[in-house]
This record gives sequence, C-alpha cells and structure tokens, in this order.
Amino acid sequence: MSLYNFKKIVIVPTAKDFIDIVLSKTQRKTPTVVHKQYKISRIRQFYMRKVKFSQQTFHDKLSTILTDFPKLDDIHPFYADLMNVLYDKDHYKLALGQINIALHLIDNVSKDYVRLLKYGDSLYRCKQLKKAALGRMATIMKRQAQSLQYLEQVRQHLSRLPSIDPNTRTLLICGFPNVGKSSFINKITRADVEVQPYAFTTKSLFVGHTDHRYLRWQVVDTPGILDHPLENRNTIEMQAIAALAHLRAAILYVMDISEQCGHTIEQQVALFESIKPLFANKPLLVVLNKTDVIRLEELKPEQKTLIQGFINDDIPVMEMSTLSEEGVMAVKTEACERLLAHRIEVKIKSKKVEGILNRLHVAVPKPRDGVVRPAFVPENVIKQRLTKEPKPKKKTERDLEVELEDDYSLDLKKNYDLPADFKYDVIPEFWEGKNIADYIDPDIMAKLEELEREEELRIESGVYDKEEEEMDDEEKEIHRLASKIREKKAIIAIESRIGRSGGAPVMPRAGRKRERSVSRLRSEFEELGVDMSNKSGAHFSRTKSRSASRPPIKKARADSTGRVSSSSRVTPRDQSGIRNVELKAKAKKMGHKAQGKMNQFGKAGEADRHIAVKMPRHLYSGKRGIGKTDRR
Amino acid sequence: MPQNEHIELFQKRYGFRMDYQERQRKKKAREHKLQSKMAQKLIGIKGKIFAKKRYSEKVQLKRTIKAHEEKKTRKKDEGKVPEGAMPAYLLDRENTSQAKLLSSMVKQKRKEKAGKWDVPLPKVRAQSEAEVFRVLKTGKSRRKGWKRLVTKVCFVGEGFTRKPPKYERFVRPMALRFKKAHVTHPELKATFCLPIVGVKKNPSSPMYTSLGVITKGTIIEVNVSELGLVTQGGKVVWGKYAQVTNNPENDGCINAILLV
Repeated sequence: MSLYNFKKIVIVPTAKDFIDIVLSKTQRKTPTVVHKQYKISRIRQFYMRKVKFSQQTFHDKLSTILTDFPKLDDIHPFYADLMNVLYDKDHYKLALGQINIALHLIDNVSKDYVRLLKYGDSLYRCKQLKKAALGRMATIMKRQAQSLQYLEQVRQHLSRLPSIDPNTRTLLICGFPNVGKSSFINKITRADVEVQPYAFTTKSLFVGHTDHRYLRWQVVDTPGILDHPLENRNTIEMQAIAALAHLRAAILYVMDISEQCGHTIEQQVALFESIKPLFANKPLLVVLNKTDVIRLEELKPEQKTLIQGFINDDIPVMEMSTLSEEGVMAVKTEACERLLAHRIEVKIKSKKVEGILNRLHVAVPKPRDGVVRPAFVPENVIKQRLTKEPKPKKKTERDLEVELEDDYSLDLKKNYDLPADFKYDVIPEFWEGKNIADYIDPDIMAKLEELEREEELRIESGVYDKEEEEMDDEEKEIHRLASKIREKKAIIAIESRIGRSGGAPVMPRAGRKRERSVSRLRSEFEELGVDMSNKSGAHFSRTKSRSASRPPIKKARADSTGRVSSSSRVTPRDQSGIRNVELKAKAKKMGHKAQGKMNQFGKAGEADRHIAVKMPRHLYSGKRGIGKTDRR
Repeated sequence: MPQNEHIELFQKRYGFRMDYQERQRKKKAREHKLQSKMAQKLIGIKGKIFAKKRYSEKVQLKRTIKAHEEKKTRKKDEGKVPEGAMPAYLLDRENTSQAKLLSSMVKQKRKEKAGKWDVPLPKVRAQSEAEVFRVLKTGKSRRKGWKRLVTKVCFVGEGFTRKPPKYERFVRPMALRFKKAHVTHPELKATFCLPIVGVKKNPSSPMYTSLGVITKGTIIEVNVSELGLVTQGGKVVWGKYAQVTNNPENDGCINAILLV
C-alpha cells in the first residue's frame, strides 16, 4: 500500500548542523572525564565508547533519512511521474545513493579505529585515535553537503504537494492557458485558485472537492498546455501531462470559443488532437466556455464544423459560462454521471463483481391487478401548477437593506409577538438568585391554581395519612428484645472504651482471671431472664483441664462472680501443645541446648550481638594453614 | 502559487500590516544585542563553539572592511621595473652565466658525495625499543617474557605467514598492519592513496626496517602506477620512494610525501 502522506519525512539538516548535532550528542551522552593514571583498559574503553557512540548516532540518523524518503518504485505511478517531473528521478536516486555510501563509509571508519584503539597504550595515543576517527566521520559528512541540501529542498516541496488520491473519483480539467479552467473549479468547489488575465497563472496542480449524489468527488485543475511536442514541454506543462497520463479520471477539455485566451478555435482543436492518446479509456467531455461573450450558434460555419466533428466522434459537447454561471452545474453533473457509469462498467468487467452480484437481489413487488395507482395530488395544486401563478415573494431583510441603503439597521425585535410598548424593553436575567427564564410561561398563574386544587383534593382523600401499623404479640416481643439488645451492645461498647483508657499496667496472659467460664455464661443468661437451672439438655459443661498431671490446688481461686472453682486455670506455655512425655523431654533438651551457647558467650538475650574479643588468640595463632582452628 | 502556501497567498491578497516594515527594521537593529548576550552568557563547550564561530565571522568582517577601505586610499605609483630588464648600454654584454653554471656543477657534485637521499624530514626523533616493543608475557604462569608485541604500525607484505606461534619472537598484530598510504606529490599538491610495496629504511634502527615497522621519517616504497609516470626512455615508472610525515599509530593512517 503506497504512502500518500509525504508530510512525515524527517527534517534533513545541513552537513554542518548534522556534524554539530552528532558531536554534541556524543559529548553529552558519554562520560567525559578520564585521567592518565587510570588502568589502560579503562582508558581504552572510554575512548572506544565515544567512537562507537558517534558511529551509532550517524548511522541512525542517516538510515531514518533513507527509509523516510519515498522510493520511486514503491509509490503510485502518478506520484512517481510527478516527482520525476519536479525533482528529476536520477538526481533524486543519486542523492539517496550518496547518503547510503556515506553510511557504509562511516561504519567502516568506526570499525577500523575501534580495532586500532585496542592497541593504544597511553591516554595520549587513545585520544589521538579517537580524534582521528571522529574527524574522519565528520569529513565524510562534510562531503555530503550538496546531497543533504538537495534532499531538504525536495522534502519541503514534497510535503506541500496537494493531496491527490489517485484511486478515487476524479474530474480532470485541461486545456489551453487562460480558457477558464481555474474559474470553473472555483465555481464548483471551495478551492481558491488564483484567476488572472495572464497565461500560466496556475503553475501546479490544484485540488478541490465537490459533492454529487452523496459522494465526494475530487476535481483536479492543471496548468495550461501549449501545443508543441513532448520533448519541448517545460516542467509546468509536464505536471499536467503526468496527471493526464496516470489518473483514471473523467477529462473535461475546456475550450474558449470567444478566443479571448489568445488562441483560435482551430489551434485548440489541434491541441485536442495531439493529446488525444492520453484520453484513451477515460470518459471525455468537451466544454465550450465563455459563452456569455459569443454563443455556439453565432460562430462562423468553419468553426462550427470543427465542433461538429467532436459530436460526430461521439464526444459530448456542452456550453457554459463561468462568468454568468449558466451551464456550470450541468457540466459538472454530466461529467460526474459519465464517470460513475464508466467506473461501474469497469467494476462489472472485473472479477470481483461475480462474488457480489451473486449476493445481490433487487426485489420488485408483483402487481396485484391491472389498476394504476398514481401519486395523489390535490386539485388545487394541479390548477395552480397549470396556471403557473408565481407565489407572492416575501420581502426579505436583504431587499430592505438594498432599498434603504445607508438608513438600514438590523432590528431583530421588530417581529416580536408582544404589545408594542413591551417589545423593546430590556429584560433582566436574574432576580433574587433565580433565573427569570425558568419562570417564563404565559399561563403560569393558571397552572399554579390547578396544582393547588389538586393538592387539596389529595389531602382530603387522605393520600398523606400515616398508617398506624397493628402489631401482634410476637412482633411486639421481637421489638422489645431488639431494643434491649441494642441497649446492651451500647453499654458493652462504652465499658470497653472506658476500660482501654489509662496507662494501667496489664497483667500477662497467664495471670489474668479466666474470662470465659460456665459460671459467667450462667450469670449473664440469668440476667437476661433465661432459665439456666436445667442442666440435662445443656450443651455447655465444665471443661476438662488439659494438663497431664494436676497438682492439688492449695489456694482458693475466685473467678468473676466470686465463686471458687477448681478449674479456672490457664495452661502454662511450656505445657500447651505437647502431646506426651517423650515430646516433653525432647522439647526440654532442645531448649537447654539452645540456651547453652548464649550462656557461654554471656549474651543478655537473643538479640545481643556483642562480641567481646574480636580476634581470640587461640584461634588466630598456630602454624596450621588448612583447616579451621576452632578445633584442635 | 502552489495550493498549500496559505501564508504567501494571504500576503499577496491582503498585504502586510501598516507597521510591518518598521517592525522588521527594528528587529534587525536589535540583533547585535542578542549576539552580545549570547557571547557573555554561554559557558562550557557551547561557549567555546560560539566563540570560534564568532571569531571566524569577525575575521571575515574585518577583511571586508579593509577591502572597502583600500578603495578609498591612493597608493603611490612606484616606477616599476620588470625583472631581468637591462639598461640599453648593457644589452650587448655577456653576463656571468658561465660562472654560475660552473658553480652549480660543483654544488651538484658535492651533494652526490654527501648522500643520495635529500629528504623532506632530514632529522627525526629516534624511537627506543621500549617505545616500539611491549613485553608479552607467556607461559603457564605468565612468567616468560621473551616475546615482544610491536606497538607501532607495520607493513608485512603480501604472502606473509607468521612463524609458528611458539617460536615467533615479534608479534605484529593484524590491526596494526597497513597496506596503503596517503602519498602527497610535493609539486602537484595532490594526495593519492597508494599501496605500499615495502619498507626501505627506518631511521631509528635496521631491526625495525627488517620487521617493517613504520614510524615518522621512515622511507617506504609505494606503487605509483596509478599516477602514470613515464621515464625518458619510455618505460613506465611503477615504484617510487616516499617519506612518512605523521605518527601513524596516533592517527590510524600513513601520510607520506613522495620523493621526486
């Protein structure tokens, strides 16, 4: 797929700027400090890095230039031909070829000097080699100054070419200079092409767009062509020839029958004959312009026969005048229709159509009976159409302006639907914090009254009365309990908040009194009113203590309710989690072993890392070389 | 005007602002202030580059000013006498050309006696062995130091094969082997890249000559068939001597002057 956007080409700097850019980039992006007392390998690496970096930067920039510029073989032949006409294909290819050569030369220079740098044995020598390498790369770029300048100019011109799409519907306008091609395109599109009385006002291709049958059409205006052989044509005419040769478009050959362009009709017809080969396979239309000066009927008979010759050749001839605008639209419509028909014909002949046609089916309703049912038009309208009474034209503001000339002033308020004294009043926008526009309504008072009436009715009928819900006993009970629960929760929350405050010392876990016990459960539930005396179906029971051997309890222990019980005791840590006696012995042994080392070094705890003697003599003396000396 | 030149089209149709010319003139008049600001503010590498550019600009400026001034002053017209012009009463005399001829012959004979080579660089700094060779430690524990690595540029000739690595005493690395030299013809002032045929003489030591070490002042033989020189007898000259004028190991290339 070819690229029609030539605006994305990277800017080509001049040779001097190129060198400056790369060298300053090298200076900024690589380390800058090296001393002669560093290791030689470090010095070498430093300078090799600079040489390689410069080479990389040159390489990158040059290769982007080479890839961005379009290859003449890869783009549409219209653009290839246009570029050949404007920039000379050979020169263009040569310039790009020179850049390519410079790229390879720079790569080779870098390779050679990096090889040499490996044998640099002093800072001075490495520095000289790096200077020589960068200098050589810079001279290679200096020699490319001409090519770079040329490519920059090509890039600027290329990005300014009008964006002509060679594949879409196009109308191409050609003819002698000064016949009215640019005026025509100005009339049908919004392209603002310069129109001047001298020949060759249009010096390049211009593009405009127009619409017909809900489709977008491209209209291309060409510079005028003179009648001489192809070799003698200059660049401007060659652009027109390139467009004619490569764009598959409808051709509008414009002729000036009043001969104001400076060429007779015979000359114009002769030009037509000479460029006829370019019109092959394209819908053609001959347009006679400037008919406001002289009409086709008023021409001399010899000239009329020439024009007749066109009609005999099956080439449609149309008249128009761009000055008085008569026939312009007709010409455009005709050209568009012809091109559309031609394109459809070509598409039908191509292979792709088979696939589409098989899927298309135009359904036409079958007539039920022979009765004709035409469109219904009321009789009055038919009568009116027959008499062709022109409708009385309304007087527009423009007509008024023309009439009054200087005295006219635009008064938009004169047609307001208000009584005369209110019409020209100034209306404020806000009042007491509200927008006045929100309240503008002619029957606002009536609406308000109606609303009030409706509201009264509603209140009377009792829409807004609150219902007294009848609750049964169960629901009442649930409500009561729910309120009680809420109360209790609030109390607990407040208590815990109080309990948390203050810096009172906290008893360790083992010392704390037992929180969860059966007695506590009992007391709390009885508070709530549950009957806890019956123990038979209960799921709670006194928990068995988990210690293997229970020593006899000598002290009186009391829990939260003040009752003495023998089971309120937290299992000590060294007994919780141990299943049997063997495991207990093992755990004890492990504990003693770990403790031993800490005791030996006099450690205060696990986190104590202090070493009293860094180098104990007995470990660091002795003749034994191999083997650790913490064992003798 | 092409379709995309909107700015130029607008300017053509509607012209410029009323004060456009005035503003352009004033902007140009302020340019010197910008230059002086840059010259004072730029430091570091940018400052150096700017100073260099500015210096060359100033030199050009001074030259043009001087050229303009020259037109104004008038020079005294000294009565110039062309070279070799003799007054009329001396015209028939025979000049002392013969004597001159004799003395030039004597001078020529003396030169031939002194030495055949009258070279552009008569005296060069001698290179010591420590400069040219670097000790290359070999052996299992890198103890043996009898091998030497040549650190200068050398020429080895076509068909050169190294001695077996175990026995070669002087190692000449491939990176430092050059085959071509940039030779300048002193009269034509043109430089050519010519292939080297051999090293004729290294002024520091005959050992360097045999090894092919090229340093500053070395006489090398180059293949000048490219220049198309022909002897009086009609034979084509294809080899000539040239003397090396730079330090090739610092520059990465061999620059020489042809000895004609």
